[in-house]
Parts: sequence; C-alpha cells; structure tokens
Amino acid sequence: MLSPERLAQPDYEYLAQRHVLTYMEDAVYQLLENREDISQYGIARFFMDYFNSVCQGTHILFREFSFIQATPHNRASFLRAFWRCFRTVGKNGDLLTMREYHCLLQLLCPDFPLELTQKAARIVLMDDAMDCLMSFSDFLFAFQIQFYYSEFLDSVAAIYQDLLSGKNPNTVIVPTSSSGQYRQRPALGEAGVPEGVEASLFYQCLENLCDRHKYSCPPLALVKEILNGVQRLTFYGFLGTLSKHPGINQALGALPDKADLMQDPAMDEELERLLAQVPGLVPAVTATPELGCPPSRTPPRVGSPWRPLHHPRKVDTESDGSTEETDESET
Amino acid sequence: MIPGKYRSVSGRAANNVNCGLHLVIQPSSLPEKNKVEFKLNRDTPSFPGRLLQHDLERNYSSRQGDHINLVNSSMPSFPILQHSSEEKSLYSDRLTLERQKLTVCPIIDGEEHLRLLNFQHNFITRIQNISNLQRLIFLDLYDNQIEEISGLSTLRSLRVLLLGKNRIKKISNLENLINLDVLDLHGNQITKIENVNHLCDLRVLNLARNLLSHVDNLTGLDSLTELNLRHNQIAFVRDVDHLPSLQRLFLSFNNISSFDSVSCLADSTSLSDITFDGNPIAQESWYKHTVLQNMTQLRQLDMRRITEEERRMASVVAKKEEEKKRESQKQSLLKEKKRLTINNVARHWDLQQRVANNATNQDRKDSASPPQDPCQTEGSTISPFPEDTGAVDSGLTSALQSLSVIDTHLVEVDGDTLSLYGSGALESLDRNWSVQTAGMITTVSFTFIEFDEIVQVLPKLKIKLPNSLHLKFKETNLAMLQQFNALAQLRRIDQLTVDPQGNPVVNFTLWKYYVLFRLSHFSMQKINGTEVTQNDMIMAERLFGILAHVASSELPQYHLISILGDARKKQFRYLLETKGKKPGIVNEENNDSKRLVGENTNRATLNYTTREFYNEKLEDIKEKKKFCKMYIEDLVKEATEINMKNEALQKLWPQMFIELVRDAVIETRNKNSYMKLCLQQITDQK
Repeated sequence: MLSPERLAQPDYEYLAQRHVLTYMEDAVYQLLENREDISQYGIARFFMDYFNSVCQGTHILFREFSFIQATPHNRASFLRAFWRCFRTVGKNGDLLTMREYHCLLQLLCPDFPLELTQKAARIVLMDDAMDCLMSFSDFLFAFQIQFYYSEFLDSVAAIYQDLLSGKNPNTVIVPTSSSGQYRQRPALGEAGVPEGVEASLFYQCLENLCDRHKYSCPPLALVKEILNGVQRLTFYGFLGTLSKHPGINQALGALPDKADLMQDPAMDEELERLLAQVPGLVPAVTATPELGCPPSRTPPRVGSPWRPLHHPRKVDTESDGSTEETDESET
Repeated sequence: MIPGKYRSVSGRAANNVNCGLHLVIQPSSLPEKNKVEFKLNRDTPSFPGRLLQHDLERNYSSRQGDHINLVNSSMPSFPILQHSSEEKSLYSDRLTLERQKLTVCPIIDGEEHLRLLNFQHNFITRIQNISNLQRLIFLDLYDNQIEEISGLSTLRSLRVLLLGKNRIKKISNLENLINLDVLDLHGNQITKIENVNHLCDLRVLNLARNLLSHVDNLTGLDSLTELNLRHNQIAFVRDVDHLPSLQRLFLSFNNISSFDSVSCLADSTSLSDITFDGNPIAQESWYKHTVLQNMTQLRQLDMRRITEEERRMASVVAKKEEEKKRESQKQSLLKEKKRLTINNVARHWDLQQRVANNATNQDRKDSASPPQDPCQTEGSTISPFPEDTGAVDSGLTSALQSLSVIDTHLVEVDGDTLSLYGSGALESLDRNWSVQTAGMITTVSFTFIEFDEIVQVLPKLKIKLPNSLHLKFKETNLAMLQQFNALAQLRRIDQLTVDPQGNPVVNFTLWKYYVLFRLSHFSMQKINGTEVTQNDMIMAERLFGILAHVASSELPQYHLISILGDARKKQFRYLLETKGKKPGIVNEENNDSKRLVGENTNRATLNYTTREFYNEKLEDIKEKKKFCKMYIEDLVKEATEINMKNEALQKLWPQMFIELVRDAVIETRNKNSYMKLCLQQITDQK
C-alpha cells in the first residue's frame, strides 16, 4: 500500500485513475435523492450498502446510461448483470433480432442508446443484413467488446478508414513501414484488390493508440496474437475475432467462458424456487433443490416447457402429464 | 251436290266436301229446332258478363254452323259461297263457316248485308275476299293460321275482331277500324303493342299469350276498360295511366319483379281490378302491402276482394318500412361520419409518425440508413404528405376539409366496448361517466394514440372504468418491452390485444412471455386471442424469473425505496424479509400477503417512465449531479490540502524536531543561568 509508486502519483491523478471520485459523487447524489428515507436508518449504513453494491456490481441496475458508462467497473458490472438476467433467454435457444436485444438492454437501462447495440450487431453480422437473428452468446460477446472498449473501437474504426483510404495516421513511423505504405497505395487501385488492410501496419497503429490513450484497451498481447495469424483483415473481421477470443473475456473478467455461458447454478436454484411459486403449479413436481448439487443437473420436467418458440403455440388445455406425449409426437 | 236436309251440318259437310279448293256447297233450309240462338245487338255492343276469350270460344263452339254450301267458283283459287235465298232472309246477317277445313277465305257473293262472319277452327292463312262485306260487325277468325292482319281496311263498321290463336307477329292495318270495340289477339306472336292508338272506342283488348316484353304505346285508347296481358314476358309497364277508363288489368304470369316497373299503375285512378299472380313480384314479402299502399283505388287483387283489414295492415307495414328506411339511413350517415373521422385521425397519425421519423433520422448521424423522404428538410413536413395520401384520399379531401378541427378524435361507446381514436379522445376519460355506462364497459380499445400518452391516462382509467378487463391497442407505437411495465398499475386485465399494425413490439419473439411475466399477477386469460396456457406462464417465468429476482433482492435498499415510493416500501420490505428467510417453501402467509398487495412484488421495480418524463428526470439528475460534483470537489480539495499539509509535516517534522531538541539542549546547558531565566519568566508573567 505504501509503495513509492503510489505515493509518487499526484492526488488527483490517483483518484481519477481509480474513479474514486465518480463513486463518491454518485454516493452523495443517491444520498441527496433519498435523504428522508436514508436518514431513518443511518448514513453509515447507507454508505455501507452503497459500496457493497458497487463491489457486487448491482449498483448499475436501472441507472441512467451516463452512469453506467462512466467507469470500466460499471461497464463490466452491467455486462455481468445483463448476462445473469437474460442467460435464460439464451439457454432457451431463441434467436433474436438486434431490436429485441436492445429492448432487453433497455429493461435494465431505460436510456441505453441504440447505436451501441447496432454496432454490436454489426460485429456479429459482419455489417450485413442487419435484421438477421443472432444467438445470445454471439451477441453477448460482441456487445461486450463494443460496450467495454467503445472509445477504443471508435478510434480503431477511424484508423481503419484512414488506412483504407491510403493515409497513414502515424506521423512517427519506421522507414520500412513507410515503404510498405507506398506499396499499398497502388495495390488499392487495382481491380480485385484484397479486402481490408495489412495486418502488421494495422497492428502498429493500434500499438500507438494504446500507448497514447488513457481509456481502456484490450491487452496488446492478444491483439498481436490475432493479427499475427493473418495477412490482411477487415474491420469487422478483426472485431469478430476479437470478440470470440477467450482471452479478452478473461481479461475483462465480467463474463464466464463461452462453454460455461449458460451455467449459473445459484441463479438456477433461485429460478426453481420461483417456478415453484407460479400459481396453479403443483408444488410436488419440483423437489426442493439441495445446495451443492452438480451444476449440470437438468431442471425438472414441468410439463413440456421447452417447446421451440418459433412454431406457433397450440392451445394446450390438457394436464401437464399428457403434454409430454404430444411434445414427442410433434418433434 | 248434296241436296236434302241436314241434321248435323258440320259433320256431313265435312264428310262430303273436299277440303280443297273445289268445294261446292249448297245451302238448304234449316230445320226449326236447329235455330241458333245468336243475337247480334246492333246498337250498343254490350256483351253479357265478362267478355273473355274462353267465353267467346264457348259461345261459338257450341253453336252449330250455318248450313252453307261452298260452290266452286269460276276462279280456280277461291271457292264462292252461296246462300239459299231462304236463309238469306232468315239469317241474313250471319254466316258461320267454322271447322270447314278452309285454307283460304272464300269469296262471299251477294252478302253485303252480312254482319257476323265466323271462320273459327280453320286453316286460313290470309284474310281476303271480305272487303265487300262492308256492314260486317263481327269477324271471328279464331284458331286459324293467319300470319298478318290485312284485308280489313274496308270493314269500317267492324266492332268485334277475334284473331286469337293465330300466327300474327305484328299489330297492323287496323287504321280504318275506328269503331272497334273488342280486339282479341290472344295466342299469337306479337312482340310489341303498336298501331292501336286510334281505336278510341276499344273497350276490351286481349293480348294474352303473346311475346310482349313491355307494355307501352297505349295512348288514345280512351274507352279501354279491360286489358288482358296474361302469359307474356312483360317486365315493365308504362302508359297505363293514360287510359282513363281502364278498370281491369290482368298481368298474371309475366316477368314483373318490382313495383317500380309498374309504377304508372299508381297514377291510374280508374283501375279497380288487377292481377299479378305468377310474377316474381308476387313472391316477395312486401308484395301485397306495397301494391295496396300504392294503389289505394284497387278493389280486387288477384281475383280477391281487398278488405279494409288488409288495407289497414298494408299501411301499417308500409309505415314501419318507411321508418326502418329512415333509421338505416341515419345509421349509414352516422357510420359515414365515423369513417370520415377515423380517416382524419389516421391521417393525423401518419403525419405525426412521419415527423417523428424525420426527426430521428436527422438525429442519427448514421449515414448508412438513407433518409426516407427525398425532400427531407427540417420543418417542412407538409410537402411529402399530399403525395402519398393524395391518391387514396382525393375523394375525401373536400369532405374532410368540411370537417372541423374538432373532428380529430372519436370516442365511441358500443355496449361493452369503449373505442378511442386519436389522442384527443383520451380527454373523454375526464368526463362524468354514469355509473351504469361505466360499469358496463369491459373492453377499451385505443387506436391512433401514442402509447406514452395512454400511460399517463391509465390511473384515470383505473378509477373511472373499474370493469375494464380487455385492452386493445392498434397503431399506438408500442415498440419496447418495457412499455408493458406501465400496464401493471391497473387493477386487472383479463385480455390483451396488441394489433401488429402500428405496434412494432409484436415482431419480437419474446413479447408475449414478457407480458405474461410482468403482468403475472393479473392471471391473464388471452393474449391476442389465443388462450394463455400453463406452459406459457411457466415459460415466461423461466425466461424472466431471474430478472425479477435480480431486480428485487439484489437491488440495494436505498435504490429500491427510491423506485418504489413510500406506499409500497413497507410492504415490500416486509415481504422481502419473509421471503429471504424461508426460501423454497410455498409459504401460506406469503401467498396471502401477495394477494393482499395485489402484485408479485419482485417485479414491482420494473417500471416504465415515458420518454418525456425520463428526459425530465435526466435533466434533474444533471442538476443534482453537478451539485454533488461540486460538493465532492470541495471535499477533495479539503482532503488534498490536509493531505498536503500532512505530507509537508511528515517531511518537515524531523528537522523541526531536531531544532526543538537542539534549542532545548542549548538552553539547558548552564543549569544556573537556566534556573534564573525560568524564574525571571515566571515573575514577568505576573
């Protein structure tokens, strides 16, 4: 704690880097909003609640977009909240449109901007047929990098455009790469020119970007790994690969790996409890789940809930037991 | 040559005569008992009873013909008729030649005083050789093969002309027969009534069993009393009101299907007897009373006397029909007005949507989406409008302009349904509703109204229309799932209908499940007409249950309170505590209290604020945050100052301490002088 590097940093810079002020300001704002109620049970308790929720990542629920976007921790918490709340939608296997995902986002943040969702969708769909359906995991990972690294991606987009049009944004460049640039220009004019930009040049620009700017960037090692594999790449190709790379996911730490995306035992238990309370449902059908049961336990069959939603629902007035048979005969 | 007496003239004559041209018949005296009872009234031709064709037939068929002999004439073509002189004096005015198998009219010599001529039941094809019989009054050519009326131009005295059952195609050559009293043309092939307008003495005209398709050209028949048009193909009748004496008109078995086709009958004051049986009109339900209403002068219809009772009934029914028509006219007027109003509302709605679209298109800097209207300028939204709707509404524009500005919304109560069109209609909920009307309304339908505006009115709806169980939304711009959160504040909803038209939310895969999830406390029965099944509820819970859980238990306390508001927080807190304590077991108390609260409270935090309100809130937030920022800045400044001072102190303290120690050591080096110094200081202090 008392390391010399830390002490060497001036006060404001230290505070800003860790976004302490943001949270302080927000805490005071909340206090202001609810002063009558909070005064009843004590300010100390309020601050405890507040910072606990910041730690747990629940502070961003139903907050305005400007707050959610304010710090990387907020963004990561939001991503995690989104995953937890709507994992069931993904588990059900539904493919949704961009607009519908946007609606789901808006359930958690009423003024979430459409542009971000659109950009995320473009990553998934490779900028093609924006009305296409997307799977939950595809969308989630694309959305993750779009939201968490939005400033970085904007800059990358600008760089990419510059590179495409032949300009090199880097003013300080190694002579070898400038000759690469000149080679590139006539190549662009040819018919049948390969798409995108040259990977190594692109990487150098990104490297400069990450050095220059303060906002969060993906780990350069990962970027290098991706760009080393290919000769040329397009913007959305790059982003798509970035989103699917598990290293990014781990670096962010907000979401589980793709393989485990649909698993959340604690929430599943909670869900079973809730389902038990659905009116009319016979409680004996669902056994009380025990703690520590393996995460791969399938939920108990309650009638036949996993009908594919794409087919029109038939009116089912029979008892739960018989629907199992009809379900099998349908499939 | 057949001398001697005859008993039966017709038969014998038939046996003995050759039905060809070389026929010679000589009349002989007629026995007394065979005297014919035929009377020809010279003065006024008034025939006994009704002079129908079949009566005439009867008269003549029973009658026995004259004893006649047809003599071979010098002319090879026509036989010549010669009466015996006796007969001439006895029955000098009539001659019967029926069933003589005649194919031509024989020349009749020396019979210029003949008054009655009977050629019934022969095969005559042309009327000839009777021009000399200028005193002829009665000519009977029934049942022959005559194809054309001709050869009658000299018979100016003719009063009865019977040409039934022939092959006549056209009424013609009757110009000189101005004394004609009875004209019988039944059973022919006549298609048109013509050339009878000069027959001003004609009393009976029989055109039954012809090929007439319409009746007109009856002017000039001032004496016509009876007109028989049975068994034709008549579809409409005209000119009958120009027949001043017409009393009986027989139109049975024709093709009349509406009273309009025979409307001239209503204007005829003389008609007393009419038949329509066998016409399509007689099968209609309104037939009798329509005829009776329109022809009050009638005494008999279809051969039956019309009673007073019938007339009364007819007028009553007619009045009722009139009223019904007036009612339906009013209804259709109302409907038209409603339709126009709805169209107007729809137009305004379209315009609004266009404006909104243009505005959002301008906001987005996204160049990928091309602007929707080619002429897209900031404020001029009127210009694209007429192009699109001009084609559709061109007929209505003038009508719509006459509609005042008030008609931009429509409120309609139809039994149990309240329909609201246009945002202005929402004000109707402010009105005083009678308890009865308000209690009856179970369905409320919103069309062409922004959903956000409806949200603001929902509390009023809850109070004023307590029995409203079914909500319908069409063209209300329902585009987001969270908008359904707003419906949770109502008392109860059994059915929800969201029309795909104008409501993009229906395109989402999950919208129904979200509705079921958020409004689970309503136990909805139907969404968009399909029943809600247990599986649907389970699926909804499965999809969004965790959202509810996160939204309630994981929300920090202060946030919960701020969202929920005072009234609910106590209940909420209580419920959360109990829920937290006993997980997984269906708690009786929990259920009870849940029912009391009326809503599954773990969803209560999912609210919807309309965009305007939200923007206002955001403005508020900005203000407050500015203040907070300033406050924190002050605090930070203070803290950093203190920190700086602290750090400065940390740096300087060792030096200061050393100096302090050094000063003290220097001072106390000489004990005596130090003691004196201290004493001095103490005395000085006093």
